[in-house]
Amino acid sequence: MLRLTKIMSLAALLVAPTMATAAEVNVVSWGGAYTESQKLGYGDPYQEKSGVQVNWIDYSGGLSEIKAQVESGAITWDIIDVYARDTIIGCDEGLFVEFDFDNDFPAGVNGMKASDDFFAPMPSDCAVGNILYSWNYAYNTDNINFDGSYPDSMEDFFNPSKYPGVRSLYSSAMSNLEFALVADGVPGADVYDYMEENGIDRALDKLSELCNDPNGGCIFWSAGAQPPEQLVSGEAIMATGWNGRHFNAIVNEGSPMKMVWDGQILDYEYFVLVKGGPNQAEAMEALKYFTSSEGLAGSAKHIAYAPFRISSLDIIMADEPWFNSPQAGAVEIMPHMPTAPANTKNYVLMNPEWYADNNTDINDAWEAWKANL
Amino acid sequence: MSAEIRTSDGELLSVKLRKVERRRRTTAFLLAAPLLFFIVFAYVIPIFQMLGRSVDNVQMNEFLSETHEVMQIWDGTEMPGEDVTSTFFYELKGLVEEKNHGKIATRLNYEKGGFTSLIKKTARKLKDFDENGNFLDQFINVHKKWGDIEYWLALKRGTDAYHFRKYLTTFDYEQKFDGSIERIPEKKRINVTLWLRTIFVAAGVTFCCFLLAYPISHLLSVLPTRYSNLLMICVLLPFWTSLLVRTSSWMVLLQKQGVLNDTLVSLGIVADEGRLELMYNMTGTFIAMTQILLPFMVLPLYSVMKTIPPSLMRAATSMGATPFLAFRKIYFPLTYAGISAGSILVFVLSIGYYITPALVGGAKGTLISNRIAYHMQQSLDWSLATAMAAVLLVAVLIVYWLYNKIVGIDNMRLG
Repeated sequence: MLRLTKIMSLAALLVAPTMATAAEVNVVSWGGAYTESQKLGYGDPYQEKSGVQVNWIDYSGGLSEIKAQVESGAITWDIIDVYARDTIIGCDEGLFVEFDFDNDFPAGVNGMKASDDFFAPMPSDCAVGNILYSWNYAYNTDNINFDGSYPDSMEDFFNPSKYPGVRSLYSSAMSNLEFALVADGVPGADVYDYMEENGIDRALDKLSELCNDPNGGCIFWSAGAQPPEQLVSGEAIMATGWNGRHFNAIVNEGSPMKMVWDGQILDYEYFVLVKGGPNQAEAMEALKYFTSSEGLAGSAKHIAYAPFRISSLDIIMADEPWFNSPQAGAVEIMPHMPTAPANTKNYVLMNPEWYADNNTDINDAWEAWKANL
Repeated sequence: MSAEIRTSDGELLSVKLRKVERRRRTTAFLLAAPLLFFIVFAYVIPIFQMLGRSVDNVQMNEFLSETHEVMQIWDGTEMPGEDVTSTFFYELKGLVEEKNHGKIATRLNYEKGGFTSLIKKTARKLKDFDENGNFLDQFINVHKKWGDIEYWLALKRGTDAYHFRKYLTTFDYEQKFDGSIERIPEKKRINVTLWLRTIFVAAGVTFCCFLLAYPISHLLSVLPTRYSNLLMICVLLPFWTSLLVRTSSWMVLLQKQGVLNDTLVSLGIVADEGRLELMYNMTGTFIAMTQILLPFMVLPLYSVMKTIPPSLMRAATSMGATPFLAFRKIYFPLTYAGISAGSILVFVLSIGYYITPALVGGAKGTLISNRIAYHMQQSLDWSLATAMAAVLLVAVLIVYWLYNKIVGIDNMRLG
């Protein structure tokens, strides 16, 4: 027994120093080119400035992991990068810290208070805006099937007789329903009202037409890096995806691809702070810097997502060419932003509340549709 | 009375023997105890705790206990009276103050879509309510959905402490608000399709594994050791590689512009326009899963075949049997134990597979485990996820029971 006590106290001695290391913050995000842009844009600068170590952890979305951490009392995450829908659900479940927005977050460099400087109101009290990104589609310009004419509308994506070949779609309903309705002639602004009134059958029928067409056909992607890969490998001739990933493939990797902005879905991405996380106080400080005007502008140096703050755009415009490609050098980024005027002629604004409300019904119908393809 | 035999220290021999026996048993138990405790605490108890979630709704029942109580008197044919609406108002108000209304919103949303925004809009407007006025009218003023009786019925059954509805959902049935049980609308039926597909894939993969593993195992068992060891390493190699790496390698090999298709095209076996669709369909699922699970079939088969003396086959041939007859009558029956052990291993493992089919299976790559993962990770409907998992567990137990009935578990040999 005595020996056991000795061993245990020795073990405690060995463990204790590691628990008292320098402050650190664990940030969870989507990986790939996106996390890289966050790390270079504001993670590393903050680490240098404050001496707090910023650790980046990859995940593929969803709240199950953090829910499990909270329930088991072993929380290891501090900050999570989430969809709007998940800020709503997580805030409701009491997983995240609620902000006192204008007190917690600094005013912009233009002097506007935080709540005015951010493009749009937050979907929940636990969310702080990060980027605006777009769901759009891209095609492989080398593809022989195009015969000199190139697609330039959402209708073209759903027209396999004009542009024969396999399409790659997101593996959940999100984005596909909207694209289908836009292609079928519903104006971008009315998409969710239409589905609230009439359900999602019309969208699914339109998708069935495309996927069952002998000239068409569908494959599905679930990770953001997949669509450009599938386009380059020829597995698909057109693929929906996130504009930053497409842009990365075109500019940094020189892939023969082009994006089509017609019918794009403009979507927001947010940070949340985990309630009772291991370094909650440090994490709050880090979050303030990440979402400051400079912080958000910093990530746009490395990926083509629009910063959530208006004042960050001022910083970028004053210093174009802002984008910093390791391969292609400096590139003007403003025309490639999802919010650029040329790209927003016909667009859908993502409605997370509609998804939160109808989650179960949409998903069941979507999976049933997919299973019977 | 027989003479009592005593040991040298004067104790009765029978007593002494029993003591020794007891000590031996205690030691044996103590040696096994850590594993037993580990299994009970780290495995059995958590599993039952998780499974309990499929019927457990106690938290909702506690949040809205008074509403639930007054609603028991309400028959649900007409809109609820003021007793119900006022109780609900005060309880909801309390929940909003403790910031717990979000939790009931998510859970009620599983009962009926639209509850998430309904509860939240209502929560924001609660402070404007006139406590002397008609509560139902005020609820309807906040949101017209409160005028739909189904939302109240959903609230009534959504606050039951226990329910078994998730098990109905698992088989594409639903309980209507009048209590009748019906199949869900055709456009939303998904689970039964997936159950059947899962069993089909598991059975198919098991059969493919058997076809491929049988000759390999035989070869392994008859080759001289230095060759068979090398071959064994080839069989085991997949074991030492991560599942994701293996699956990704298959994607590289099988895709349309992949290694296999390129080779076939350059050999002129298929035309460039006619490249084979080997991935994002059932073919891909079968190829990748068969390769990944093959070792689980090879090892039991090999260990059984190794013990079959070659002299048996020679004896059969010497007595005039053709090689085929000797194989069918002598060799094959002797390998039953290995076949059944391998089959049950592969079948049980493939019934729970989902990463590989999701990556290489395309639209048809969704299996029942993908739905469980979806409800665990995305929709957070853990009660539905655990109901499905419970059904899956029972399915595996049934397979095991059938196996025991038909083959007998004692006949299983893993090595």
